[in-house]
Amino acid sequence: MALLQRSFEIEARDFVRAGEASIEVQRILKTIGFDSERIRRASICAYESEMNVVMHGGDGEILLTLDPEKIILDVKDHGPGIEDVELALQEGYSTASLEDREMGFGAGMGLPNIKKNADSLEIHSDKVTGVHLKIVINVKEG
Amino acid sequence: MSKPPEDLKTPVYVEIDEDQCTGCVLCMKACPTKAIRVKDGRVARIEGICIDCGECVRTCTKGAIKATAPKGDDFTTSPDLVISPPTVLYSQFGEDYLPNDILLGLRKMGFGYVHDQSYTSEMCNFAVELYIKENRKKPNLLFPLISPACPVVVRLISFRFPSLLKHIPPLATPREIVAREAKKRLSAKNECSPEEIGVLHITPCPALADFAKQSVSQGDSPPMDKAVGINSIYESLKKNLQEIDDDMVLHHSSGIGIGWGMSGGEIAGMNRNCLAVSGLHEVIHYLEKIEMGLLQEVDYIECRICAEGCLGGPFTVADKYQAKHHLQKLVRMFGVERRIKYNYVIKLYKNGWFFTERDRTAFKDVASPLSIPDRIERLNRVQETLQLLPGKECGVCGSPDCPTFAEDVVDGKATLEDCIFFHNRKRKTSTRASR
Repeated sequence: MALLQRSFEIEARDFVRAGEASIEVQRILKTIGFDSERIRRASICAYESEMNVVMHGGDGEILLTLDPEKIILDVKDHGPGIEDVELALQEGYSTASLEDREMGFGAGMGLPNIKKNADSLEIHSDKVTGVHLKIVINVKEG
Repeated sequence: MSKPPEDLKTPVYVEIDEDQCTGCVLCMKACPTKAIRVKDGRVARIEGICIDCGECVRTCTKGAIKATAPKGDDFTTSPDLVISPPTVLYSQFGEDYLPNDILLGLRKMGFGYVHDQSYTSEMCNFAVELYIKENRKKPNLLFPLISPACPVVVRLISFRFPSLLKHIPPLATPREIVAREAKKRLSAKNECSPEEIGVLHITPCPALADFAKQSVSQGDSPPMDKAVGINSIYESLKKNLQEIDDDMVLHHSSGIGIGWGMSGGEIAGMNRNCLAVSGLHEVIHYLEKIEMGLLQEVDYIECRICAEGCLGGPFTVADKYQAKHHLQKLVRMFGVERRIKYNYVIKLYKNGWFFTERDRTAFKDVASPLSIPDRIERLNRVQETLQLLPGKECGVCGSPDCPTFAEDVVDGKATLEDCIFFHNRKRKTSTRASR
């Protein structure tokens, strides 16, 4: 049962607006008043996945879903998919272009960082439909 | 300890003069915590959580909002009182007076013990480097570290970014250390307890006045400390500066210590990867970035709520840019090589001299009484209400913007009819219906 659902569009290669969707996610979680540690972890996941979409993914979206037990981030893009998911999960492995790296992105820490901060992470990748990350952060009241 | 959560709503250092307030919406729109409302009375009132940032004071064009010095702190000069001026004081009197002159001027005013902060600032500057070096490799410590020096930044973090409290190192600020040491020394000399020694803090801002006082007295006994704004002693000090007849040497630092109070001054002497951010909105923006896990490669961030750092504090007298220019001249004149005994500082560091046990988590979890599902439900209702509003962000309703107005409506603090657009629209429809 979803208590709240919001979606935020991400535009490919738009480095000026990059990060704004994540800031929105962060603000919503703050307004609701989750504890700060969960907000921090969710924001990191949102930001890293948003940057992945901006760099590699073509256009996409972040769908934030809150249910009584979980914060769920579905990040979908229409990009070329991840060639080797195992490799992409290794720290420092990156397929980012030189141009992206010169801007300070593409250090190969994105997916590892998401994995570290999420309670569960599912990666569905397909050359045709793109990448779908399902990131879950558990909410325990109290 | 800072103010307990239940006191958060009481602005201690901001006063709104109801006779001068015209009920315009400038302060309400400027407030970063959206604490101000301009309701029926047409007078601005502070209803939410105030962090003493002073933004409303700066924004008000009518002079109706004033930063007030703590009450009951009218100072009297006394030979037994320790006085500790901030380094920004050196920037306030133009180029005719060097830091030592200003310290002598304070003595001339009648203060027996004048303790310079710039030298301690240089020591702290090195201590931060030691702290970074010691902790950079520890896996659990979060970077970038955020400077504890600006009390409003600390309050902003505890109120809006509590997950970043862990980024604030347990290091004391120069003014805390100066007060602590002065008390220790003078009490040994007078054979009394440190608590009986009073320190008068001269401060560039109201928030610091509060902070400086609380910081030194962690014990149960009430603090003997007082605080006074730079503006309150300015005229008297200026007069006394012209009558100095003493030649004591009270100032020992290089330019690094002198420049400590301006934006970038705290990190200027540091050989690490540092950033200086000043101004309310910039600070908020950077805290948001840090919360998203960015800037981890940066060791230390100096954040100051006032633009140009403490030079822009509400209690300063000189124009902040002129003051900055003058301070930069002093920095050049005194050089940028720290005049500290490095091995001695390392020894002090190991003995815990630079650390504080202050609890910076006081604001943490000013929890909403609602359960999380109820809070989400509230947010949904806020969103529905927001759809009805025009999104002009005009503030005529008395709330700072449409999203906050929607929250006020849902919380029962305002009604939809308070929105002038909604009101008009409703009237139009009903006129049409009656035709």
